[in-house]
Amino acid sequence: MNNKITASDVCFYYGNNQAIKNINLAVEKNSVLALIGPSGCGKSTFLRCINRMNDIIPGTKITGEIKIDDESIYGQNFDVTNLRRRVGMVFQKSNPFPQSIFDNIAYGLKINGIKDKYEIERIVEHSLKSTALWDEVKDRLNKSAMGLSGGQQQRLCIARTIAVQPDVILMDEPASALDPISTQKIEELIQTLKENFTIMIVTHNMQQAARVSDYTAFFYMGELIEVNKTEIIFTKPDKEMTENYITGKFG
Amino acid sequence: MQTHLELELEQIKIKIFEMADLSIEAIIDSIESLKNADITLANKVIEKDKLIDKLELDIDDECIKFLVTRQPAASDLRFVLAMLKINTDLERIGDLSTNIAKETIKIDGGALLKPLIDIPRMGEISVSMIKQSFDAITEKDVEKAKDVIKMDNELDELNLQIYRELFTYMGESTRHVSQCLSLILVAKALERIGDHIKNIAERSVYYIEGEDIRHKAVNKNMS
Ligand SMILES: Nc1ncnc2c1ncn2[C@@H]1O[C@H](COP(=O)(O)OP(=O)(O)OP(=O)(O)O)[C@@H](O)[C@H]1O
Ligand SMILES: [Mg+2]
Repeated sequence: MNNKITASDVCFYYGNNQAIKNINLAVEKNSVLALIGPSGCGKSTFLRCINRMNDIIPGTKITGEIKIDDESIYGQNFDVTNLRRRVGMVFQKSNPFPQSIFDNIAYGLKINGIKDKYEIERIVEHSLKSTALWDEVKDRLNKSAMGLSGGQQQRLCIARTIAVQPDVILMDEPASALDPISTQKIEELIQTLKENFTIMIVTHNMQQAARVSDYTAFFYMGELIEVNKTEIIFTKPDKEMTENYITGKFG
Repeated sequence: MQTHLELELEQIKIKIFEMADLSIEAIIDSIESLKNADITLANKVIEKDKLIDKLELDIDDECIKFLVTRQPAASDLRFVLAMLKINTDLERIGDLSTNIAKETIKIDGGALLKPLIDIPRMGEISVSMIKQSFDAITEKDVEKAKDVIKMDNELDELNLQIYRELFTYMGESTRHVSQCLSLILVAKALERIGDHIKNIAERSVYYIEGEDIRHKAVNKNMS
């Protein structure tokens, strides 16, 4: 199989509290993997292991190995700055910078060393078109991003993420605060984006997981209980625990 | 305590079992009517089929409502999908039983060529196939369901045997042609009933273990 991300025996600790237990999981290139499971089971923690976002939390420890393109991201000479460009992240609460719509996207490009004005304009336009936002904002690119609706802000954050051309996009409940129409747009977007990116998405919405993902992983108390093709997880899961969770009989 | 979701599933189950009881009754009564030239009973079978038709619509509505409002997954989803299809098969069994009752009416009290043996036998087999399919659903017993599928072979054979026998009769004397044709149609109806029960059993297997065994031989002894 053509795997983009491979996690082997990954354990993660907040101090003495082990949040992730021996996760072995591979994510196929250009696929969408949904992470589901009850609150506190470690979905966000695991997601943050993939771009080493947990590094900044004091007192944490990770063991095991995570590889992206066969390169161990916790290896000795690994370039973490470059990793953050290659692995973009979108959060539950959209977090645009208090700047213009244009600058929200241009900022990341400039940090990544793109200086050419026309090149920047081109990428900004392309990213906004990819997130189906262009038509809605093209006449007010210089207005503040804070004036956009919640759904538009979230798509702007996705545009900002893909502008720097990552390989992997991590999404932590990207649509949980959005109305159904904005949610549908984000879901559409996820399905188009997977042509060019490998996506991991955390969601509490079972139907959303079923709609957007190719594979689904069920986590429970820091353990990976089951991972399989989404279609199989939602029609005949292997484990009773998964069955109980997705049919709402968890208790 | 049962959740609302479980209660709704239970409701669908109760109605499907009611439908199964009605179709068993339809088979038994239609054969009885034929055996005893009982036209009143035959009419009752035809009348009662309306109940089955109504129940079919009810169950369809409830299943669709459940799918839309609950967006079920895993075994809940498989259960509802299986019930939707089983529902259609039971309704067809009801129709086929009325076909049998209509032949009783056509024979119109005329003396039978000889006492019926194989046709009632087919009726009995069909009834026990339905019962066993529904036991399989209740007990989530895949083997029971798969046995039902094998039992269908018996019905096919009996149908063929009846057909040959009656065909011979028809050759011997033209007096019995219309009754022979009626009985051939009855046997054919029972054979079709068997096919629908086989569907029901296959759908039970899908519900129980998520495997679609339609259009597959159950074991090597089967063609
Ligand atoms: N910064 C932190 N410091 C200490 N413990 C933490 C921290 N973040 C998370 N945890 C703990 O780690 C465990 C996993 O949390 P995590 O946020 O990964 O769960 P989750 O599956 O994303 O839950 P939710 O669905 O509610 O977002 C929990 O027990 C949580 O309390
Ligand atoms: Mg989380």
